[in-house]
Amino acid sequence: MKPANRVMKQVLRGGVAMVVATIIGGTSLSVAQESVSVRATLMTGGVPIDDPNAAAWSSAPPATFPMSPQVHWPNRIQEVTVKDVSVRALHDGKQVAFLLEYADPTQDPDDAAALEFMVGDKKAHFAHGQPMLQVEGGPVNIWFWKNKTNKAADMTAKGFGTLKPQEHQDVTAKGVYSNGSWKVVFSRNLSTGHAEEDVQITPGQFISIAFAVWDGRKDGAGELVEKGSQKAVSSWWYFRADAPPDYSGYMYAAIAAALALGFQFVLIRKLKKGQ
Amino acid sequence: MGALGKPIILMVGMYLFLKFVLPNIPGSAPLPSSLIFLYLLLTASGIVIYETLSGESKDAFWGPMQRFLTGENVGGLQALRYGVLILFPLLVGWQTYGSTAVSDLPPTESRTVHPAPPGEYTGLSNPVPKTPDNIMQGKGFYAAFCSPCHGGNFDGKGPAARGFIPAPANFADPTTIAMLQESYLFWRIKKGGVGLPIEGTPWKSAMPRWEVELPDEWIWKIIMGEYDGAHQSPRTWE
Repeated sequence: MKPANRVMKQVLRGGVAMVVATIIGGTSLSVAQESVSVRATLMTGGVPIDDPNAAAWSSAPPATFPMSPQVHWPNRIQEVTVKDVSVRALHDGKQVAFLLEYADPTQDPDDAAALEFMVGDKKAHFAHGQPMLQVEGGPVNIWFWKNKTNKAADMTAKGFGTLKPQEHQDVTAKGVYSNGSWKVVFSRNLSTGHAEEDVQITPGQFISIAFAVWDGRKDGAGELVEKGSQKAVSSWWYFRADAPPDYSGYMYAAIAAALALGFQFVLIRKLKKGQ
Repeated sequence: MGALGKPIILMVGMYLFLKFVLPNIPGSAPLPSSLIFLYLLLTASGIVIYETLSGESKDAFWGPMQRFLTGENVGGLQALRYGVLILFPLLVGWQTYGSTAVSDLPPTESRTVHPAPPGEYTGLSNPVPKTPDNIMQGKGFYAAFCSPCHGGNFDGKGPAARGFIPAPANFADPTTIAMLQESYLFWRIKKGGVGLPIEGTPWKSAMPRWEVELPDEWIWKIIMGEYDGAHQSPRTWE
């Protein structure tokens, strides 16, 4: 009986290992693509809306996105200073703040950066929501910061030449330059009263976001190299403000485990009675 | 034990076959875990049906399992029995948690790489004669207007390409211009990313709408230069 027991043990152990392997193999697929979105970590006690160096930022995971020169429409640019932006976000259920960080060898008065969001349900082209020929597009909301004023402009665009500041300015921004890099904080209330022109941020929902950066350096002739449409741009990526923690998954898991335990108990009792 | 050991060995063997052997057979591919699960379920059902055909084989099959579960005469397996009885509810709980937890992944977007062109852009032939001069000129236009993204080597790796999703097309890849007609390229260059239908996700493409900047003749020459430079030929209807 002893050797048979040992074989049985080994076989069962193998079987359990196989079940575990299947489960792990099936679930591990869901952790692959982290850097396609920025997430705003939920915090308590007010977001650091005007402090790019606040300790709270270390609790928000950074996401890095590649930048390209704007070549989509004239005036184009072939080469830009900023190659990547690193983005973090925090929210407290009322306000959201984004921290944009990027390397820029010089601090210039004309340095500037912007966030762009799709507004509403309609898709918008990443280049200022320019009209698409076969698809009806929506507007974009642009949060623009420039070093000269160290302030934000809350803007709307729906196609080339339509960019304009909004009547209601809801966004604040502040940039701090040190050691060859900019840290710029943009912030706003999650929702505003103007859903047709402002992005409305609902925790738990994914929103399309894009980035733009202007290095305000000048060429030999004293002309700005990056200005207007001549800037570094990103593609559309995703942003999501974390929803309040939801523990219902643990509850369902506990109920399922209890049911399985009950099933075992009943089964064994029945088997024992039957014999 | 034999009646129970064989099915378990069969299940493990089946799993190993599906997971590691089948994908290596030429023309095959790795199986998704859901399909492996389905096959294992079918195998298990087959085993249960086979083993319960006669009363005798049924007892031989279920008997050891019943004894194991009830803990009668299991001897040294008692510890393992408790392990299984504890592990099973935990596994059920874990699976339930995994299937109810909110996903952290953004919505997936499927994108058709080569959507159908509008009717007026099908079957057009290149009106520019295919002379060395015209091809040369086309390559010159390509270098000026297209190469920043599509690359001096026609490989989609131009200096401006890195931040754009979808990435600029690699013309040297046999699945791009080699499987398209010249009229298709004419449409894509003329109307650009914003001219794509909804399945082509036009809001993401950085491809300019060249019709507002370049005359048609230049576009036809660029097409010629592209095929020649990428060592490809347009798809034709034989």
